[in-house]
Amino acid sequence: MIQFQYVRTSTPKAAVDAVSKAQNARFIAGGTNLVDLMKRDIMKPEKLVDINNIPLKGIEQQGNKIVIGALALNSQVADNKLVQEKLPLLSQSLNAGASAQIRNMATVGGNMMQRTRCNYFYDTAMPCNKREPGSGCGALEGFNRMHAIFGTSEKCIAVHPSDMCIALVALDATVVTTGPKGERRIPFSEFHRLPGDNPEKDNNLMENELITAVEIPDNAFTRNVHYLKIRDRASYAFAVVSVAAALHIENNTIKDARLAMGGVSHKPWRLTGAEKALIGKPASEETFRNAANIAMEGAKTFKYNAFKLKLGPNTIVQALKNAAEPV
Amino acid sequence: MGDNHNPDQPENESFAESRRNFLKNSSLLTAIAVTPGVVAKAAENDLGEKIASAFEKVPLKMEINGVKQQLSVEPRVTLLDLLREQLNLTGTKKGCDYGQCGACTVHVNGQRVLSCLSLAVMHEGQKITTIEGLAKGDQLHPMQEAFIKHDGFQCGYCTPGQIMSAIACIREGHAENEADIREFMSGNICRCGAYPNIVDAITEVKNNGQKL
Amino acid sequence: MNEAFFDKKDYKSLDRVDGRLKVTGAARYSAEYQLSGLVYAVLVESKIAKGTIKSIDSKAAERAPGVLAVISHVNAIKVPGYQTSNQHPSEPPVNGQPLRAFYDNNVYYNGQPVAVVVASTLEKAQYGASLVKIQYEKEQHKTDFDANMESAVLPAQAKKNPKSPVADYSRGDKNAFANAPVKIDAEYVLPTEVHNPMELQAITAHWEAEDKLTVYDKVQGTQPTQKQFAKEWNLPPENVKVIATFVGGAFGNGLHNWPHETAAIIAAKQVKKPVKLVLTREQMFTMVGYRPYTWQKIQMGATKDGKLVAINHESVGQTSSYEEFTESTLQQTRMMYASPNINTRYRILKLDVSTPIWMRGPGEATGAFALESAMDEMAFSLNIDPIEFRLMNYTDSDPDKQLPWSTKYLKECYDAGKEKIGWEKRKMQPGSVRSGEWLVGYGMGTGTFGANRGVAAVRAELDAEGNLLMQCAITDIGPGTGTAMVQIASNTTGIATDKITFQLGNSQFPKAGNQGGSSTVNSVGPAVQAACNALKEQLKTMIASNGGSQAAFASAKTDDILFVNGQIQIAGSDSAKVDIGTLFKQNNIRKIETTQESKPDENRNKYSMYAFSMHFAEVHVHSLTGQIRVKKVVCCADAGTIISPKTAANQMIGGATGGIGMALMESAIIDHRFGRYVTKDFAEYHVPVHADVPHVEVFFVNKPDTLADPVGSKGLGEIAIIGVAPAIANAIFNATGKRIRELPITPDKLI
Repeated sequence: MIQFQYVRTSTPKAAVDAVSKAQNARFIAGGTNLVDLMKRDIMKPEKLVDINNIPLKGIEQQGNKIVIGALALNSQVADNKLVQEKLPLLSQSLNAGASAQIRNMATVGGNMMQRTRCNYFYDTAMPCNKREPGSGCGALEGFNRMHAIFGTSEKCIAVHPSDMCIALVALDATVVTTGPKGERRIPFSEFHRLPGDNPEKDNNLMENELITAVEIPDNAFTRNVHYLKIRDRASYAFAVVSVAAALHIENNTIKDARLAMGGVSHKPWRLTGAEKALIGKPASEETFRNAANIAMEGAKTFKYNAFKLKLGPNTIVQALKNAAEPV
Repeated sequence: MGDNHNPDQPENESFAESRRNFLKNSSLLTAIAVTPGVVAKAAENDLGEKIASAFEKVPLKMEINGVKQQLSVEPRVTLLDLLREQLNLTGTKKGCDYGQCGACTVHVNGQRVLSCLSLAVMHEGQKITTIEGLAKGDQLHPMQEAFIKHDGFQCGYCTPGQIMSAIACIREGHAENEADIREFMSGNICRCGAYPNIVDAITEVKNNGQKL
Repeated sequence: MNEAFFDKKDYKSLDRVDGRLKVTGAARYSAEYQLSGLVYAVLVESKIAKGTIKSIDSKAAERAPGVLAVISHVNAIKVPGYQTSNQHPSEPPVNGQPLRAFYDNNVYYNGQPVAVVVASTLEKAQYGASLVKIQYEKEQHKTDFDANMESAVLPAQAKKNPKSPVADYSRGDKNAFANAPVKIDAEYVLPTEVHNPMELQAITAHWEAEDKLTVYDKVQGTQPTQKQFAKEWNLPPENVKVIATFVGGAFGNGLHNWPHETAAIIAAKQVKKPVKLVLTREQMFTMVGYRPYTWQKIQMGATKDGKLVAINHESVGQTSSYEEFTESTLQQTRMMYASPNINTRYRILKLDVSTPIWMRGPGEATGAFALESAMDEMAFSLNIDPIEFRLMNYTDSDPDKQLPWSTKYLKECYDAGKEKIGWEKRKMQPGSVRSGEWLVGYGMGTGTFGANRGVAAVRAELDAEGNLLMQCAITDIGPGTGTAMVQIASNTTGIATDKITFQLGNSQFPKAGNQGGSSTVNSVGPAVQAACNALKEQLKTMIASNGGSQAAFASAKTDDILFVNGQIQIAGSDSAKVDIGTLFKQNNIRKIETTQESKPDENRNKYSMYAFSMHFAEVHVHSLTGQIRVKKVVCCADAGTIISPKTAANQMIGGATGGIGMALMESAIIDHRFGRYVTKDFAEYHVPVHADVPHVEVFFVNKPDTLADPVGSKGLGEIAIIGVAPAIANAIFNATGKRIRELPITPDKLI
């Protein structure tokens, strides 16, 4: 790891100022991904601005939305009563991610800033356009079992690794930021981006912009929800495929639905077409299967991940079944 | 160390920064202008490194196992390496160094965290408890006793992390049943495979209902 | 019958003697010795798979603060043992040679250590290593097993010696398979698996004088390592001291000495300071061996009523280009079942990869996956219960060596295990049993491993307070060697276990080989027994010389002389009770001591000696998502005397856990375009976590095999894992009807 400068800040403004003053500076909160990447020389910030002292840990109802501070820990959010009662899908997704220790360190903002776990990104001896633009995509013709099937480009087929973000994109969250140009609100579905020609950019944050909160509008998805994560072992592994499913069912008819997938794209993958196919239909396996088939339209697979064409829809069907009949 | 700068004081920060930029710009300017990008970058890093080591150790106060420590560390030193390499607290283990095994689990202000993914300087003013801080003299912590009784280990290398994690798991309320314990202990890998015995140990301590 | 078995929960057993040190963090492993002046070494690896190093630019690294040296083939001091000939001194010439650290500019595989940076702190060494820039002359590499399998060869040792265990083997009619009424013909693939013990491989090397080396090294044998380094550095063995008091798991990767160890020793010599070198988790994949990628083919023939008539078993295992690694993948096929006709054929494939090394249950675990899967496939084609099928082909003597078994209680294992797993719930037709959306399957697999025994010696010392101290150079990588030895000593002498200490992990202690091949209790246990008996002889003579009421000791059997409540008595008699303190005072001594060696006897030529195991698994597979959950495992071991039930049961549980990993998740994958691993940390190379491992029920046939050794033990570490993976694969077939012959069995293979 290179040597770097380290400063602590206690207000968003001071943090933005501190990071703006230096080239190649980064905010650090939990550090669970950044420190890992720095150890492996994948990221080499010359200055770290510690934001942990900024009071952004609150989780509260504000009018018709729940506002979660960017520095709330993943474990605090998952175990929070308000979240468990009104946003159970978010709580489930958080508990499906990482380990108890990491959830005790990782923040909501940091979780959103997680970088891909692509094997080629993680090895500086390998080509990777995300790590080193122009070096090529190692995964395209390589070992791509864990890789994307939606929204890929010739430059990058990596997937976004978060579980929390899959629930947040399904729940129509908004990201609140502050930066040199003041405060911004970004719809969650527009926060992360597809790789296109610039896979080095994971998201649409502007330079030196700091995430301060996530807002989730009140919704009717308090009971019939399920986050289903398929992985290569029973816990503590990244998703091969995951599905966040939320249904609002009345008299066995689906009044409203939210559906998103993880492990399939460079960004949390919202399935709006499939949602439309669910609304107004009976909560049956046939409805679910139909939606799942719609969800997979436009998928493009690679040498080792073709199975996602089958595992994906099956996981959607099962997540919807579990949501419809929670245990 | 006299060159320590205090990360909490912005004036020191700007002082450090101006020195750094000055050195960087003056001595390397010509080199950067004539060399290709990669080489320049390496040279730049190298220089940054030298400057950094000259004055970028920062003061750090923490309480470790009840003992107040006044330290001076490079910001890049992880809490794990500080414990193991500088403070001789080798009970906290390095199993992967990437947050993927749990062997380095310690308590920070009572919460279980991974010391390998945590920079030491991020724990200013905090209370750290390691495996060495659990027993009271000869009196082992109930979780340590239970691990011995149920043989919750073989080689013993993951054990400190398992024990620190297990105590927190009960405190958090995530040890209500065996399935919960298995899920919420999954961040602690035991390659010898003593998992069922560890679950037995945690269950017994949980059922005994002692305050941990 | 059931008396032969016991459940670990009902059995009072000694707690691990080093438990307190391990749960308090006081146990010191190889990287935890804080020597004065200690500095840190970090390795630089090759980033190509084959070729030569053109140049090494170490200027930036050398200039970096705190860096003391950058060492590579360019400037490394010559290791005397490397120079004697082109062949490595410790290896027979035909088998190639271990990789020599910084010997020349050749690159044999991707990830090979090519330089080491030494600095005053770990962080400075890591940063320094990142600055070393290497230019290569690349050559075309071969790492793809499947693409190169045609180039597999007979191992050199088999070419030289047709009786070698890895030579081609044939018994009965070579062509029996062709004429068999019912046939199975299938291929099996086991990917590369990596030991990945939790402790990273570490060495602290310290030249205490110009010709005196001490290493704190993560190895499975202190004296084999001592011998190796003494040869490398041309020193008398007594000048090399190897300490491995605590070893944080190894599973085989400490059975060989590796280049990183010599790299640290070179570095310590060059910077004239003690050097600590700890591998990274990625380096654990390329620098300390692995279970080799292995292809197997089994042709099995049987009669319609279930008698095996032929087994042809072929295997090709991967090895490096510079060193021939072999393992006994096919051995059990020759002896496990009563087939009159058997052919086995073993080949190795040399690739541009690092050298494999035995990993728990070495070749046998690989072979058992194929053999026990094939047995299940055959039983299914014959519509015979798989246990019945095995019983129909049970053999009461070794058909390979044509010798009687020393002991074999596998039938008893089958009986008890069947009951415990609930075998009666199993249906022959796959997919018949469901639990909601989950398909339920039951499977079983058998394991076997040689009851090995080597030479070992133990020094024992008894003081006037009745404290017994024993020493042996053996290591303990986790099974609980100290605990078992204390138990044996207590059983032999009657001394309370808390008055007995067993010191190990030091090359200066009496003779021991590696902890490996399930041979520790079988080898060191008898030496403990012999040393204890020798002490008792001394006591007996001393006591008898007192005359009077104590004269009876002269004619007492040594076995009968025991400490009872701290006093020496003749067991089962109302003999005099002798206080050891008084006795020593009378004789004007403070302690007695002895060193005793124990070695295998001629029974090894008269009997075939194997330990056996039986594993059952209940596995649930989700019908839509292919998620796999192992719900219950039952393991039975016929391992002779169980010395220390608690630690023995733990070993069996650990083997089951390892088997779950092998069956369901472990696989180290190379991107052949680069010849470089792409799954090389715990996020990509999955090992089981808590949530993967259910309750494991363990039973033992606790019957001594005193033909194998005086302690009656047959060894446990290997049979704990051998047969687990096929038990799970067979259960998955029973649940889903899908026969997966390439491990690991991940959800995508089941949808």
